[in-house]
Amino acid sequence: MIRFIVRRLLQSVPLLLVISLLIFALIHAAPGGPLSTYLENPNVRPEDIERLRRAMGLDRPLGVQYLSWLRAFVQGDWGFSYADGRPVLDRLVERIPATLELIGVACVMALLAALPVGIIAAINRRFDRVSSVFAVAGISLPVFWFGLLLQLVFAGALGWLPSSGRTSFDGGDVADRAAHLVLPATVLAAALSAAWSRYLRRAMRDTVARPFMRAARARGLSQRTLLLHHALPNALPTFVTVVLLDISMMASGAVVTESIFAWPGIGSLFTEALGKRDYAVLMAFLMCGSIAVMVLNLVADLAVHALDPRTRDAA
Amino acid sequence: MKRFLLVSALVLASCGRERARPAASTDLLTIGYDREPDTMNRYATHILEDIESCVVEGLVTNDEAMNIVPVLALEVPTTANGGVDLRPDGGMDVTWKLRPGITWHDGVPHTSADVKFTVDAINKGDWKPESVDGFDRISSVDTPDSLTAVVHYREVYAPYRLQFVRGTLPKHLLDGKSIDAATEYNRKPLGTGPYRVVEWKTGEHILLEGVPNYWRGAEYPKIKRLLFKFLPNTTTRINQLKSGEVQMVALVPWDKVRELRGLPAVRLNTVVGNGYEHVTLNQKHFTPFADVVVRRAMAHAIDRDLIVRSLLDNLVKVVDGPIQPLSSAYEKDVTRYEYNPARARALLDSAGWVVAGDGIRSRAGTRLAFTLITQSGFAIRENVSQALQKQFKDVGIEANVRLIDGTSISSIWFKGDFDAMLHWWQQGADPEITLFFAADRMPPAGRNINYFRDDTLTAMLYASDRTADEATRITLLKQVQKRLALFVPELPLYNTSKVDAVPATLRGFTGNPTNAGPFWNVYQWQLTAAK
Amino acid sequence: MSASAYTGVPATRAPLIAGVLLGVLLLGAALAPVLAPYAVDALDLANRRAAPSMRHWFGTDELGRDLLTRVLFGARVSLAIGLVSAMVSAAIGAAVGSIAGYAGPLADDVLMRITDAMLAIPRLPLLMIAAAVLQPSVPVLVLLVGLAGWMETARVVRAEVLSLAARDFVSAARAIGASPARVVLRHVLPGVLPAAAVATTLAVGRGILMESALSFFGVGVQPPTASWGNMLYQAQTTMTSEPWLAIFPGAMIFLTVLACNAVGDAIGAATS
Repeated sequence: MIRFIVRRLLQSVPLLLVISLLIFALIHAAPGGPLSTYLENPNVRPEDIERLRRAMGLDRPLGVQYLSWLRAFVQGDWGFSYADGRPVLDRLVERIPATLELIGVACVMALLAALPVGIIAAINRRFDRVSSVFAVAGISLPVFWFGLLLQLVFAGALGWLPSSGRTSFDGGDVADRAAHLVLPATVLAAALSAAWSRYLRRAMRDTVARPFMRAARARGLSQRTLLLHHALPNALPTFVTVVLLDISMMASGAVVTESIFAWPGIGSLFTEALGKRDYAVLMAFLMCGSIAVMVLNLVADLAVHALDPRTRDAA
Repeated sequence: MKRFLLVSALVLASCGRERARPAASTDLLTIGYDREPDTMNRYATHILEDIESCVVEGLVTNDEAMNIVPVLALEVPTTANGGVDLRPDGGMDVTWKLRPGITWHDGVPHTSADVKFTVDAINKGDWKPESVDGFDRISSVDTPDSLTAVVHYREVYAPYRLQFVRGTLPKHLLDGKSIDAATEYNRKPLGTGPYRVVEWKTGEHILLEGVPNYWRGAEYPKIKRLLFKFLPNTTTRINQLKSGEVQMVALVPWDKVRELRGLPAVRLNTVVGNGYEHVTLNQKHFTPFADVVVRRAMAHAIDRDLIVRSLLDNLVKVVDGPIQPLSSAYEKDVTRYEYNPARARALLDSAGWVVAGDGIRSRAGTRLAFTLITQSGFAIRENVSQALQKQFKDVGIEANVRLIDGTSISSIWFKGDFDAMLHWWQQGADPEITLFFAADRMPPAGRNINYFRDDTLTAMLYASDRTADEATRITLLKQVQKRLALFVPELPLYNTSKVDAVPATLRGFTGNPTNAGPFWNVYQWQLTAAK
Repeated sequence: MSASAYTGVPATRAPLIAGVLLGVLLLGAALAPVLAPYAVDALDLANRRAAPSMRHWFGTDELGRDLLTRVLFGARVSLAIGLVSAMVSAAIGAAVGSIAGYAGPLADDVLMRITDAMLAIPRLPLLMIAAAVLQPSVPVLVLLVGLAGWMETARVVRAEVLSLAARDFVSAARAIGASPARVVLRHVLPGVLPAAAVATTLAVGRGILMESALSFFGVGVQPPTASWGNMLYQAQTTMTSEPWLAIFPGAMIFLTVLACNAVGDAIGAATS
């Protein structure tokens, strides 16, 4: 087990190196740079641009810039934001709680919906049909469209909920925060719960079709018992894998949601940083995202290992 | 079935728009702001200084009619009032008299030492001020007494009046410190203005609170708190205004104004802007633009009135040149190119551009076809560029529209790597346009991205810059405008008027045509109880 | 699919309905120049934002262009992005997956770690940056969305290959001396096809949604070229005043993705 973890961690080092090189090249290939925003102002003269370019170290060759970034990054120094001059780490750290809160709540909502729906759908054919309609619909809506629609209805027309933001500035109590969470979390949870319930249902059905289940059926166990006591535990490990992988990818799904709902998380930080070509923040965001996915991948593998009845019995 | 849900939701949404919202407090104004500032340091920021200007005041500011009015200065120095002295060596001395009795928010008096410190700090060059324009022409500052600062320029510098529009840096706080690293100052600057920063919640908002003893009088500012919510997504911003979650949005995009008409809680305030939307014709990149006949034909080909009437809902006015009607240097009587496609065709025929089989003209193997770039995500520009495309096509000119994101496009025009571009320049209150039209101001030395070369014009422009006499300067600039209209190096379209959506209950709001922004007189604003 | 729940059409017919719908959409896209009532770039500034009528069935947009025409031409772009990018994904995914599953532990390890790495980089942000670099044209977007989406297919294919490779008939083929390439092409890939087909159909819908998300950030298909994504994006602020501008392209995206998912589900159900 330990050896497995160590091996995976070692493997991820060269991968992260490749990823960092790839995204560094990519973001620097994009036209414009951190100084582009200055160009709009006619009072900023070319001399000023040159002066700022030197001050920011952007006049150095790209290779040198990459190496100095890499050297600092592995030492835990993530540099300073080109936009506001503050440490990149500070900028990320202050945004992460908001994103975790949003993703966490969305996942809980999605799981609360997906687990019962998936299980009942596996057992009951009628329910299966109805739920599948909603499930397929849930993953077929463009996220920004769905988000704007919710805003228009629940914040605009009905006025029940705040349309965006994380807290009212003078509120901030639990009720206020919950009210702000409802719409963005719903948007994120909609697609997830749809995908997850479908997945769980299918995994359970697949398990029922396996030979050992046929043997169990031959012993006279009811379909219901089979599903709940045998299919579900068997389907869970892969289900958990899917859930963990999806969660790890939500950082990017949240980019749209955070933008629409002005959610102060790392997704909206990314959008802002991309617009300003804030290289330091972009690198840190993408590296963090990649590392988070890799870690969750590993956790998923470990979880499968721990949950799988076969490996558990063997242990 | 989701479609029905959708339709019914939309119906519901449109019904609900009329619903009344609870009356907001008169002590708090919530503003939906389109971006988060990078820093609150006015000299380091490269975006509008709306929030900053509530805290840090300049020696002068621009009022709603674009006049330069004193704030921390007692008066604006001129040759007439003895504030400006032309030295025999070609240099210039400007004497700023500071208003007495003004203290920074920490109680320390605001003095001429702060003016001197500001100049020295910017010229020292060890940090990242956005622009050092003008400052680099200052040789030194003398402070004969605590309220007098004499600024010595190496040469005559006509825009001197706006030198300190961004205020001063507090010497007692920043002396000996690295200003880039002065995070505390850059996040919560020390100012003399009506408000101070109490909270900056990254990604969410900045909260300003009125200071207790504002120098204009204890009754100011009348609104106790200003809350700037960062809402970069335009739809979200407009939706919050509709739902009453924010009360004010500055600079509403013209195509969104229609959405806000008829909202009882919102008043739309329009001022003529100090910028102009135009099509830049890069003669270096697409040589047919170098022919004045082609340019005149293009000017006749476009129906600016129709575009303004339809796509811009009459929110802007057609203009014929770079200096805008509000400016004292504005010249009204210039060559005007009315919409006349027949005349455009005749001009092109006369210049030897013959219509080919595909309906597009060509001459000696060169097609009259170019790429028109403009900023993506800017609905009005996307639409106007397509209307222009059609109007050019009607006279046999092909314009291929290409949309480019805002960050990329500035680096493209800065390199001169485009044929034609639909965009605007937003200018300061000073009418200097040398940077945009002088022959030696082509990139990288300036913003002459038409690559227009006219020596007479260039001489006139520089002469206008190097006089401290206002009347002479205006005469020269009026001649400049006539010459520009005659040779039409670019196609002016319309003035970029500024529309601000403010609460119907707000008193004292005027708007502002310049980059001083609508918050220039925020201390006077007052929210009255809803009727 | 939606029909089955509300009109009592048996669910088994849903994939059929979905298939027919997709066929109609493809046909409409292919015949857009013939079917469209107006020229695709015909502006009419005097008749902007007109509500649906007999003259303009879907109404007109900000520039007075016929929305039905735009939706038809938009179908070409959106469907092309969905279909072609899904094929790009499927081809890369199938190749990577079958090599990883069949060519031994070393290749498996290397390829799967690369797949993990590709999966690890946040996808939408990556695409947003890539689109900014390359300037979004339709072919570029097709390629980008395709290149960003092969990883799921690769994983599915690999898993299927691994399980198939262990089966008797494959071992038998190997035992009688068939070359690895032959074994893969003849015996393994056919077995993998259903799973790959499901993944690919789902990828069509994902591609279309991805384009609309990119449009939301201004890096999708650029006007004047119409795509459902950019039409929807342009309509976002007028959802209350001119709902038709948002409803038609939105409904097209929704129905297409719905149909793709329904077909994918049906293939999955039929083969499992």
